[in-house]
Amino acid sequence: MKKKLLIIPTIFFLLILAAFFFLLITDRNPSELPSALLNKNVPKFEGKSLFKDKKIISSQIFVKEIVLVNFFATWCKPCLEEHKYIKRFSEKNGIKIIGINYKDNDKRAIEWLNKLGNPYSDVIVDKKGNVAIDWGVYGIPETFIINSQGIIKHRHAGPLSEKIYKKINLIINNIE
Amino acid sequence: MIKKKFLNKIIIFVFAFFLLQIIQTNIWSVEPEEILKNQKYELRARNISKNIRCMICQNQSIDESDAPLAKDLRILIRNKIKDGYADKEIYKFLIDRYGDFILLKPPFKLNTFLLWLLPFVFFAIGIFIIFVHNKKSKKT
Repeated sequence: MKKKLLIIPTIFFLLILAAFFFLLITDRNPSELPSALLNKNVPKFEGKSLFKDKKIISSQIFVKEIVLVNFFATWCKPCLEEHKYIKRFSEKNGIKIIGINYKDNDKRAIEWLNKLGNPYSDVIVDKKGNVAIDWGVYGIPETFIINSQGIIKHRHAGPLSEKIYKKINLIINNIE
Repeated sequence: MIKKKFLNKIIIFVFAFFLLQIIQTNIWSVEPEEILKNQKYELRARNISKNIRCMICQNQSIDESDAPLAKDLRILIRNKIKDGYADKEIYKFLIDRYGDFILLKPPFKLNTFLLWLLPFVFFAIGIFIIFVHNKKSKKT
């Protein structure tokens, strides 16, 4: 009787072991957090435009088409790395991209974009990082996909790569 | 004589240990220019900051973190307090943007009730096992 009972904890232990092993081998990134804003309306914000001398209000941007929102800065190395993919989205896929220039110097940002090419249809200046907080951003670069109804469908934290470019493309196609 | 020396060593060790604890709990990253003049407000801000996770360092509160985002959030909390927001409203503001993960303590919700209740369930099972086991061994 006692020996038989001992089997139960052994099985239990093996089950826990299997669960841990499964979690260990599956490809998970613990720093990747789901956005609290997923499937919610774009946060309302307004800010100065980098190039034009005008105020940009969020309600004017997100209408009738899919928009990418990309947080970037000239001091951020990964932003430089992902720039070609952002460009590809605007040039090849013809997607409207809004850039949010996070805690940056205006002059340097304009120079940076003139040199590398400007894929953004508008760039909003976020000197103090308040817009970023409204979007739940915790480290740039971050990219959001917004559908034609102004609802956030996807958030990617970190730089874009070939793999993520394809993934975002797939999501955009699925929205349409 | 030797015993006394040994005892002294232990006393010193215990004292140092507790001193270290006190020093440790007093570590924070709030910078002088951030501190509010109104002490009541500042205290409220500190209390909120202690419960808010630094999203970059993840296991530190924004009260302890030097990360720029933590600093931004500390200032934001202080500005909101000055603007007359209640603590609850400030928490809601942050959760709306960053999700429940921004709280260092997970809230009691439908999808977290197991997390909160399982320890008590296991504790009860443990007590039950000990109880049954005792009864059995007393009989024999």
